[in-house]
Amino acid sequence: MTSSPTQALATAARAVAASKIYGSGDTEVRALDAIDVAFEEGRFTAIMGPSGSGKSTLMHCMAGLDTVTSGQVIIGDTDLTTLSEKDLTLLRRDNVGFVFQAYNLVPTLTAIENITLPMDLAGETGDTAWIDEVVGATGLSDRTKHRPNELSGGQQQRVAVARALAGRPQIIFADEPTGNVDSNTAAEILGFMRNAVTEMGQTIVMVTHDPVAASYADRVVFLVDGKIVDELADPTPQTIRDHMTRLGA
Amino acid sequence: MFKLALRSLIDKKLRFALTTFVVVLGVMFVVGSFTLTDSLRSTFSGLARDIAQGTDLTVRVDQSFGGDFDRATVPEAVGEQVLGVEGVDRVQPELGALNVFIVDGEGNAIRPPGPPALGFSFNPGTFFITDGRQPAAPGEFATDTSTAAGNGLRIGETYEVNGPITAEPFELVGVFNFGAPDSHTGLGQTMAAFELDEAQRFFGMEDGYQAIGVLVSPGSEVSDVQDRLEAELGDDYRVITQEVDAAEQEEDFNQVVDIFNTILLVFAFIAVFVAAFIINNTFQIILGQRVREIGLWRAIGATPRQVSRSVITESAIVGVVATIIGIGLGLVLALVLRAILELIGFPLPPGPLTLQPRTVGLALLVGLGVTMISSIAPALRARKISPVAALAHDFRLDPTSLRRRVIAGGTVFAAGVVALAAGMTAGLDTTPTFVLLGIGAVLAFVGINTVSPAFARPAASALGRPVKSLFGMPGRLGRDNAARNPRRTASTAGALLIGLALMGLAAVVGESVKKTFVNIIENAVEADYFIRSAETGFGPPPGFPARLADEIEALDEIESVMRVQFAFGGLSVNGEPRDIVAADMAQADDHFDGQVSSGDMAAGDPLTALALHSDSAASLGVGVGDTLEATFPDNQTETLTVVAVYEDAAIYGNWLIDGALWDSHFNRNDLAFASARIAGLASAADEAELAALQDGSRAAIEGVLDRYPTVKVENQAEFRQAQESQLTALIRVIQVLIGLSFVIALIGIINTLSLSVFERIHEIGLLRSVGMTRKQLRRSIYWEALIVAVFGGLLGVTVGTVFGVATTLALPESFVQTVAVPWLDLAVFVLISAIAGLLAAILPAIRAGRMNILDAIAHE
Repeated sequence: MTSSPTQALATAARAVAASKIYGSGDTEVRALDAIDVAFEEGRFTAIMGPSGSGKSTLMHCMAGLDTVTSGQVIIGDTDLTTLSEKDLTLLRRDNVGFVFQAYNLVPTLTAIENITLPMDLAGETGDTAWIDEVVGATGLSDRTKHRPNELSGGQQQRVAVARALAGRPQIIFADEPTGNVDSNTAAEILGFMRNAVTEMGQTIVMVTHDPVAASYADRVVFLVDGKIVDELADPTPQTIRDHMTRLGA
Repeated sequence: MFKLALRSLIDKKLRFALTTFVVVLGVMFVVGSFTLTDSLRSTFSGLARDIAQGTDLTVRVDQSFGGDFDRATVPEAVGEQVLGVEGVDRVQPELGALNVFIVDGEGNAIRPPGPPALGFSFNPGTFFITDGRQPAAPGEFATDTSTAAGNGLRIGETYEVNGPITAEPFELVGVFNFGAPDSHTGLGQTMAAFELDEAQRFFGMEDGYQAIGVLVSPGSEVSDVQDRLEAELGDDYRVITQEVDAAEQEEDFNQVVDIFNTILLVFAFIAVFVAAFIINNTFQIILGQRVREIGLWRAIGATPRQVSRSVITESAIVGVVATIIGIGLGLVLALVLRAILELIGFPLPPGPLTLQPRTVGLALLVGLGVTMISSIAPALRARKISPVAALAHDFRLDPTSLRRRVIAGGTVFAAGVVALAAGMTAGLDTTPTFVLLGIGAVLAFVGINTVSPAFARPAASALGRPVKSLFGMPGRLGRDNAARNPRRTASTAGALLIGLALMGLAAVVGESVKKTFVNIIENAVEADYFIRSAETGFGPPPGFPARLADEIEALDEIESVMRVQFAFGGLSVNGEPRDIVAADMAQADDHFDGQVSSGDMAAGDPLTALALHSDSAASLGVGVGDTLEATFPDNQTETLTVVAVYEDAAIYGNWLIDGALWDSHFNRNDLAFASARIAGLASAADEAELAALQDGSRAAIEGVLDRYPTVKVENQAEFRQAQESQLTALIRVIQVLIGLSFVIALIGIINTLSLSVFERIHEIGLLRSVGMTRKQLRRSIYWEALIVAVFGGLLGVTVGTVFGVATTLALPESFVQTVAVPWLDLAVFVLISAIAGLLAAILPAIRAGRMNILDAIAHE
C-alpha cells in the first residue's frame, strides 16, 4: 500500500475534510463527503471510481474550477476556499495546468499559440528554452504553426498536455485525457504524460475510468459515493481491475 | 412538426425574443405611420367640414391651378348680383390673408413654428365668440381662444398687428372658437379677425372678396339656387355646395398628410429592410446550431420536407407574434408622434386613433412576409442536413462558395445600380421614380451584402491587426472571432451598412448642396443686405409687406432695393403649373448675378419679359427671343418673350418674371425676400468711411423694421451663415431619422454576438479554465464587436459616399454643382457605429463572463 520514498515528498495539493453538497433535505446529494487527500509533488496520481462517484467533482474542486461546500482545498500554500473568483482564475492561470477530454484547444490559435496561451493571457513571454523543450517532447516541433483542425486527435491532446506543462504549474489536472481516442493514441498521450512526471518532475492528477490508463500512474485513488475508499501504489491494469471488482461487490 | 417548431421556440427564449423584437420594430413603424396619418386625415376632414359650415353655397373665382391665396378676388359688385338671385337669403363675404402677426405685450410677434399666421374677416358662421364681442369697427380685432390663452392677450388691450401691407395697433374686443361653439378647432395657426371693411383695407383687398358665402332662404332648394347662381354668374365663377367645399379643403390638407405619410413610410421601409437582414441572419445562425438536432429528426424519420416546413413554421410563429405586438406598439408610436408634433407646434385636436383594416393587413404583410421570406433560404438549406449530422461531431452545413456569392451578388448589385440610374435619369413621375429608386437601393444593398463575406475576413483581419499587437490575447481572440465566420460578420455588418450608407449618402448630397450654395452666394451676391422673415419654422417662410421695401428704398443710405416674390405653381405653361419668382429684372444683375448665358434680363418690356434657367429652357426647347403662352392663377393668359437664359437657380429659381407682371396678376403682394445695396460704397475713401456707411445703413434699415418683429435684416456673412445652418439642420434631421435604423442594427449585433458566444461556450469554458479572467473574456468580446461594427461602418460609409457622389452628379445642375465629401461627418459615423458595436456587446459580454465554467466545458 505504501512506498517509503514518496512519503518524503512535499504535497502539491491537498483536500482537508472537503465536502460538496448539492441540494438540501430529501434531495441532498453529497458529491464529496469530507474527503481528505493529498497529492505529492513529482508524482502521477490517478483518480478512479464508478460514474457518479465524485471523481470529476473532486478534480474540479481541487483545480479551482468549482468550490467546496465545506472543508479546505490547498494548492501549494494557498487555501483556495479563501480566494475570490478573480484570484482563483489567476491561480489557475499561473499554478494549475489542465487537460480535458476533448476540445482542449482554441481553434483560431495555432498549436504553439495554444501552448503559450496561459502566458499570453498573463502578458508574459514565459521560459522560451523550457517551452522549446516541451514542444520537442511532444514530437510536434514541425507542426507548431498548424491550427488544431490540421492535427490528429492524439496530436491535439499532446499539444494540450504541452500547454499544461509550458507554464510549469504546481499541478496538472487531466480529465479523461484519453477518453476520446483509440488505444494506440491513448498510449502515446499517456506515455507523454508519464515522461513529464518522470523526466520533468511534473505533478499530474488524472481522472479516468480506464484501468490501462490508470496503470501509467504511480498511485491510484478509488472513490465511491464521494468518499475515498481505497488506494493502490505502483498499479498494473490487473491489480486495478481486481480492486475495482472488489469495490463493486 | 408544428409542435416541434413551437417547442424549439420556447426552448430558446432569448433568440426568440430578439428575433421577434426586430420584426416588432418594423411592424411598429408601418402601423405607427399609417395610424397617425389616418388619424390626421380624419382630423382634417372634420376641420374641413368645420370651415365649410355656416354657408349653404360658396361663390369663388374659377381657378384651374395655383394656391388659395393667389386666387383672384370676387368683385364687390358680384355680391350685389348674388343677392339679386331668387332664393338667396343673405351673403357672407369672406376674406383671408397670410402673414398677419399679432405682436404680444412684450413686443414679440406671435409666431406659430409651422402653421401659418392668418387674418380673416369675421365670419359669424364659423367663428363663435366666447368672450367679449365680434369686431364691428375700424381699429378692432378678435383672436382665437388658443392664441389668446397661450400668449396672455387680454380683451380691452391694444396690440400691434403686422399685416400684409402695414403694421397698425388694434384693440382686442373678443375671443372666439373656430369651427364649433364649444371647442376651438386649431392646428396651431394664429387667427386675427377684423370687421369686413376693415379687413379689406388692412389686407389691401379693397375691391373684392376671396369668396362669397351664400345662405339660401327658407323654402328654397340649395341645388335650385346653385343652378340659378351659375346661370347668373357665368363661367368665370364657381358655385359650390358646402359638401364640395369641405371635400376640396380636405383634399388640400390631405396633400400635406400624404407627404408626411410618404416620409414616415420611407423610414418604415428602411426599418423593415434592416430588420429583414437581421432575421435572415438569425435564422441562418440558429440553423447552424441546430444541425445535430435536425439530424436527429431526420434519423428518426422526418422527411427533408418536414424539416424545412418546421423551419418555416417557426418563422411564421415569430412573424405572427411580432405582428400582434408590433400593431400594439405601433399605436403607441402614433401617440408618441402626435405628442412630438404637438411639442414642435402642431397641436392636433384629441381624437381616437384610427386603426384601419388596411393597416392591419399591411402589418401582417410586413411582419409575416418579412420573416417568412427571410426563412426561405435557411429552410432550403435545412433540407440538405443528413441524418449523419446527428452523430458526427463536427458536421457543418456547406456554405455557398464565395465565388458563387461574388458572381450572384455582383449581378444583383449591377441590376440595382441600373435601376438606380434609370430612376434618377429617366425623368418619370414621382411615384415610378421612387419605386425604381427603392428597388434599385434594395437590390444594391442585397448585392453588396451577398458579396461582402468575400472580403469580410481580410478586412476584419486587417482592422484587427493593430488590436492584436497592442491589446494582447483578448484583442487577438476578438480579432480571430470577428474573422472566423466571414458570412456572419458580413451580415451583421450588413445591418449597420444600410443605415450608414443612407446617412453617408445624405451627408455627401447635403454637403454638396451646401457647398454649391455657399459658392453661389460667394460668387453671385452683389447686394449688401437681405431682408426676409425672421421665421425659422417648417415649410416655406412667410412673406412680409412690400411697403417695407419701399421705405428702405426711400432711405438716403440705400442706393437700390430689389423685391423678390414667390409663388408655388404661380404660372402654367403647356398645362403644367410652374413655381415662379418675380423680381425687379432691370436691376437683377446688380443684386444677384444669375450667370446669364444668353440675352439680357433688363431687356424687353417688364410686362411680357420672361427669364429661364438653362434646364427649363432646354427641356422646353426655347431660347432668347422665343415666346411662350403662360396662364396665371387669375385665368389670364399672356404671351411672354424669353429675354434671358441664366445658369444659377439659387435665387431666381427656374422661372423669373418682373414684379410689374406679378402685380398685374396677383392680388397678394407680399415679398418673399428683398435685397438692398448701400449708397456711396464705391466712393468710400477708407476703411473707416466704409464701416461708417455700413453701420449707418444698417441702423437706418433696422429703424424701418422696428415695428415688424417678424422681419429681419442680414448682411452677406449673416445671410450665408443662416442659409448654411438651415441646410445643416435639415441634413441632421434626415440623418437622425435614418439613424433610427441603428437601433435595429444594434439589436442585430446583440443577437449575432449572443449567438456566436453561445456557439463558443465550450471554448470560453476552456479559456476561463486555463486562466482567462472575466475581464479579459469580456474584453475579447468587446473587441470582436468593435471590429465587426467598424467593418460595417467603413463599408457603409464607403457605399454611402459612392452613392452620394453618384447622386450628386445625377442631380440637376440648378440644384447642385459641386461634389463635396464631408470627411469629418463620415469619420463620426464610423465612430458612432463603433460605439453602437460596443454597446451591443455589453449584454453578451456580461452573460459570457457569468457563465459557469464547468457547464461551459461540459456543453456540447
